[in-house]
Amino acid sequence: MAMWRFIGTVTLSSLLLACSASDDAGNSRAAVNDKKVFRYAMGGSPTSLDPVQSGNAYANVIVSNVFDTLYNYKYLARPPELKPGLAEAMPEVSDDGLVYTIPLKQGVLFADDPAFPGGKGREVTAADFVYSIKRHFDPTTRPQGAWLWQDRIKGLDEWKAAGSDYSAEIAGLRAVDPYTVRIELTRPYPQLLYTLAMGFSAVVPAEAVETYGREFGIRPVGSGAFRLESFNTAKAVLLPNSNYRDEPFNLIEEGYDPATQAYTRVAELEGRSPPFLDRLEIDFIQEGSALWSSFTKGDEVQMASLPDEQVEFVLDSTRPVILKPEFAEKYQLATGPEAGFVYSNFNLDFPEMGYNPDPERNARNKALRCAVIRSFDWPARNDSFYMGLGQVFPGVIPPGVPEFDEAMPRDSVTRDVAYAKQLLADNGWTPDNLPTLTYGTVAGVKSRLFFEQFRAFLKDIGYPSEKVVLKRYATFGDIVRAWSRSELPFVSKGWGLDYPDAENTLQLFYGPNASPGSNDANYANPKYDALFEQAATMAPSDERTAIYRQMNQMLVDDCVAVTGLTRMRITLWHNNVIAVPDSSIVGGGFLRYVDVD
Amino acid sequence: MELLQYTLRKLIAGIPLIFGVTFISFLLMVYFGPDKTYDLLGKNPTEQQIAEIRSELGYDQPFVARYFNYVTELATLNFGRSESTGEKVSDLLARTIPVSLALVTPGFVLGNLFGVLLALFAASRRGSWVDKTIMGCSAVGMSISFLIAIIAFQLVFSSSYGLGWFPVRGWNIHSPLDYLRYVTVPTLATVFVALGYNTRFYRAVIVEELSRDHVRTAKAFGVSPAKILSVHVLKNCAIPIITRVVFSIPFIVISGSLLLETYFGIPGVGKVAFDAITTGNQPVLKAVVGLTAVLFVLAQILTDILYRVADPRVSLN
Repeated sequence: MAMWRFIGTVTLSSLLLACSASDDAGNSRAAVNDKKVFRYAMGGSPTSLDPVQSGNAYANVIVSNVFDTLYNYKYLARPPELKPGLAEAMPEVSDDGLVYTIPLKQGVLFADDPAFPGGKGREVTAADFVYSIKRHFDPTTRPQGAWLWQDRIKGLDEWKAAGSDYSAEIAGLRAVDPYTVRIELTRPYPQLLYTLAMGFSAVVPAEAVETYGREFGIRPVGSGAFRLESFNTAKAVLLPNSNYRDEPFNLIEEGYDPATQAYTRVAELEGRSPPFLDRLEIDFIQEGSALWSSFTKGDEVQMASLPDEQVEFVLDSTRPVILKPEFAEKYQLATGPEAGFVYSNFNLDFPEMGYNPDPERNARNKALRCAVIRSFDWPARNDSFYMGLGQVFPGVIPPGVPEFDEAMPRDSVTRDVAYAKQLLADNGWTPDNLPTLTYGTVAGVKSRLFFEQFRAFLKDIGYPSEKVVLKRYATFGDIVRAWSRSELPFVSKGWGLDYPDAENTLQLFYGPNASPGSNDANYANPKYDALFEQAATMAPSDERTAIYRQMNQMLVDDCVAVTGLTRMRITLWHNNVIAVPDSSIVGGGFLRYVDVD
Repeated sequence: MELLQYTLRKLIAGIPLIFGVTFISFLLMVYFGPDKTYDLLGKNPTEQQIAEIRSELGYDQPFVARYFNYVTELATLNFGRSESTGEKVSDLLARTIPVSLALVTPGFVLGNLFGVLLALFAASRRGSWVDKTIMGCSAVGMSISFLIAIIAFQLVFSSSYGLGWFPVRGWNIHSPLDYLRYVTVPTLATVFVALGYNTRFYRAVIVEELSRDHVRTAKAFGVSPAKILSVHVLKNCAIPIITRVVFSIPFIVISGSLLLETYFGIPGVGKVAFDAITTGNQPVLKAVVGLTAVLFVLAQILTDILYRVADPRVSLN
């Protein structure tokens, strides 16, 4: 009897506990049912939603909906094009390209929040933008975006060196009046506008940052289309920002292409002001089976990337991507290359395969690297791990940027075992004297398979398997530390584009960016660096594109990296959803335009 | 009074244990754990930025000072803020532990309860087909991984390919009915897997008890089998049952269930603890490790007290 009483008590307690431990602070289901609710799934979860820490792509999706940036990408334009966001217009740029004058929209309000007097959101001003950028140069905010502007905006680095005093003025970053921002650069920076569309540059109110302190990362307050209702490890719930400005949707201005986008029904949005939803829920789902079960349930997730393990089950064909009829009846589909690519670097700091003081060995090392590159079977990698959907390309300028060269010779991504063997033999490499190649990766089944396949490729050219060794790291942070400290001779990684300009990938091999910077190949080529510096100040032009392509060819010729492959993303959504998903480069900006029937 | 003295004595005796556990775990965290610095850095860091982050994280302080801070935090239950989100660790745990408790408690209770009942049933028919069937099913339950069980139950009960009776993901609870909708499938998966282990363990305990003299005597006196099992066997099996149940509680409170939480989209402490481990989020990790140590000390005390309740011959001295 006592036992039953105990069990009864525990059960009742659990029920009470559960009722008090509800997830979302939002409405009950009954109240939600007659409203427009949209559930979107992402493959990972953000940590902080503070724009200064929004380096994570998942964080960027939420940041770009809660906050405003001066510029946004047009919703429908492919390839991506910028348009004014919080800015009233595109900037006025001085002839020398050093001074940007940006007018801001008037009457834009932050979302209502207790951080403001009376809980009412105040008007966004130029001073807020200046404050938001300054935060990236205040070490106490643990910023991740300073690399975008350091050594580029006049006085900003000095401001930091002087102690990051927010009351102190910065010559190159000023609010001329409440509605005008003036940015003065130390040298031309053609990518500046792209950086002003990134989540890092989102405009935050000082009051909220001061009120919530470090908790601003979970209590973000902005002037974006939505405000955050709740956020945890499983999902984020966003509600419309009632103060969001009235900006009727204009198909033409957003870059509508009826030939490719009519099926999405976005034309029905013409003239209406976003956001169109009453509630936006973003689920963080890493597990493919759970994602697919939730997506196909009908009343749960309505839009998601197709999990790899479901590709064969769902698609009739991968080239072109076509849904099986039973799925085509229920779902819409969009495909597109991911904004980024996967590749592997040789770390040239290691004299065994990289730069060697002995010129003869140096030349042999280069031949060895070239042989490794030619042993790599990209189609096999694509078929084994990316369902054959990835796009293999030579060099480091991926298909997602306008400077991509479709006509570039494909030797570096074409396997040629005989050539690779000959290269080794001609340069005196034998199984006995080949150096040990240490392949670093984060512990995991897929990583292990990547390694084993790579080792098998090398075995085909006579590289002894026992000389290709795996070094595992428990976490991603650990392997990043190894890259940063130049501790790994071979680095396998991916790069997500920050903006659609090849400068973003070419900087991965720029000498001054050597470890701990992003050039973890530690490639040092003065000619390459000179070209990078020359192109860095040039506006987009055929001349600049030619320089980019010349640099790309240098990397291929110097056999610096086994590169590359851009993954294809397949997004599915339910028929009752009106949406055009964007690529990851644009963040989650499209969510403000999503509507449901 | 005896109980109070005993509790105080045990609490004091638990302090070295807590120090030992926290010291070793902190040592491992500092020298072998993930370095949060590189998780927080931007894409193109400079040496100066790395140094700034390390300073912000307190990594530049001597080990002794950092350990002293940890002990102080544990004593005051103020673990600072999560290095990932900036949220107060105490708020984070207060928000997520109740969710995990609500998630795993039904499975834990039912898994143990059914385990005991099935074990009683099997043990009382030792060697019969009933016993063999139950033990065979237990072996099957033990052999199937929790992950597979979760996926299978989710597919059968939640997805559109199965019965579709319950939500696949979520934890949006405003009434007991909501709670039942969200907790049923995770509970079924938990019970399915736990039952195998529990039944085998409890059966072994009960079988041993059934072979004791007092049971034989009771049988000789004509006491009914039901009474023998419920009064003479179960009560005498209480000590190993209590040990197993009570020592599982700290894991339930702190660890939650990572797999249940990730597959069912439930914001509990398991995912928080896992993320803290994999990213080197030391404030959260320190809180989880420290509280687990404290809970184990408390569990030990509770176990001893319950021993006394179950068997008055057990002395607290």
